[in-house]
Amino acid sequence: MHMTPPAAPPSTPTAPAPASAAALAPAGHPSALAVFWATWRRDLRIEWRERQALNAMLFYALLVIVIFSFAFEAQAALTVRVGGGLLWVAFLFAGLLALDRAFARETAGDCLTGLAISPASRAAALAGKFSAAFVLMLAIEGVILPLFAVLFNAPPGARWGGILLTAVLGTWALAATGTYFSALGAHARQRTLLLPLLLLPVAIPAVIAMVQATQVYLHGQGGAGFWLQLLAAYDAIFTALGVLLADVVLEVE
Amino acid sequence: MKQTETAGPTGPASTAAPPQARPWLPWWAGVTAALMLYALYQAWIAAPTEATMGIYQRIFYVHVPAALVGFGVFFINLMASVWYLARRSRAADALAVASAEVGVALLAINLITGPIWAKPIWGIWWTWDARLTLTLVIWIMYVSYLVLRQFTPHSELQPRLAAAYAMFIFVAVPVDYMAIRWWRTQHPQPVLFGGPHSGLAPAMLYALCVGFAAYIALAATLLRLRYRQEQLRHKIELRRRARALAE
Repeated sequence: MHMTPPAAPPSTPTAPAPASAAALAPAGHPSALAVFWATWRRDLRIEWRERQALNAMLFYALLVIVIFSFAFEAQAALTVRVGGGLLWVAFLFAGLLALDRAFARETAGDCLTGLAISPASRAAALAGKFSAAFVLMLAIEGVILPLFAVLFNAPPGARWGGILLTAVLGTWALAATGTYFSALGAHARQRTLLLPLLLLPVAIPAVIAMVQATQVYLHGQGGAGFWLQLLAAYDAIFTALGVLLADVVLEVE
Repeated sequence: MKQTETAGPTGPASTAAPPQARPWLPWWAGVTAALMLYALYQAWIAAPTEATMGIYQRIFYVHVPAALVGFGVFFINLMASVWYLARRSRAADALAVASAEVGVALLAINLITGPIWAKPIWGIWWTWDARLTLTLVIWIMYVSYLVLRQFTPHSELQPRLAAAYAMFIFVAVPVDYMAIRWWRTQHPQPVLFGGPHSGLAPAMLYALCVGFAAYIALAATLLRLRYRQEQLRHKIELRRRARALAE
């Protein structure tokens, strides 16, 4: 990839190199892992206490599933043909809510500036936010999937293990790019509108792979190896890009 | 051209941009127009009619150069974004805007000419194979790059956010270039650099090369014009801000 070299030298005046950051806080300088865990736990704890995104996501995904089941006649034959698409549209839109909330919270108290000027590794903080969003989205999908199976009369031959694996890989893809773009749009005036405009185009290849793999597993026949490999490659590339370019997006002017 | 004449003498001494001695645009535009006309002549009249596809194959001399030059322009966008992040140069940002816009226009030509060819040859306008899907996705991604720029206007943030996004979206370009080599697609296999069974008759290759020259000239002229215009826009923006501060 051509992207790896540029990310290394973001040696701007505001971006402290690890060495200088260590010099600033020699005693209690937190390791990247500590920053990661702290961000992860904090995000999930806040979410667990106020349950804003959680409730909104759950209800939203439920609405999408219910409206789809009215819009299309939900029968096993239809589920075999387009079930994967319907399921992922519900997951995608619910996920957008979580990703938007992830940085709405940061801008509200000007936490983003605090995060950016602290000596903590920004890549670790971003990774912490990513994994919090990832867990949140998986939790919602865990609730929606059984509902989908019931309301859409999922065929008995469906392979749920494969669908779960697809969900993990696919949610990783959406959460990784989504967290990065949420951070990217955090300063824009119409943040909520910007996030889907940035995320959806980049997510298209991942969405295609998720839908195709889910379709294969719902049908219960054939292999989805190619689509899972595509998803895994997508996850690897965009996670690496996000980590490498974390400094660029969390910088303060 | 008119702008370059006024920017020098009337500008304050602080902006020490030397006025360009000779107007370049008429020359570049003239050469581009001549090359475009010659490329059309080559594609319509001079090149031999293809054996199986007949006259429809002639759209190839527009379709392929537009795509490959478009990809090249997106590569310029990537390089300009990297350059911006490394040096925080406004010139790099101006080049990034210019290249994204020119690339979107070139890829639009490719995406319009493709279905026109596909309808008589395949019987359908569009199909969702790897090459077609990815090309459309790339076009959408660069449009959303331009949308991102519109959402963060006149801010110091804009170039940095746009540069970060540019790195994410360029990933798809090499994949799309390789798509017809890696996967079995409805889209024809590569004619250039496509292995032992690819290649073109000399007269066709010549027409294709003229097509490439015409599209490279078009892209270069548009890039230079838009690059210059973006730099002037930024200069005006800075002056306006400075005046607002002074008042």
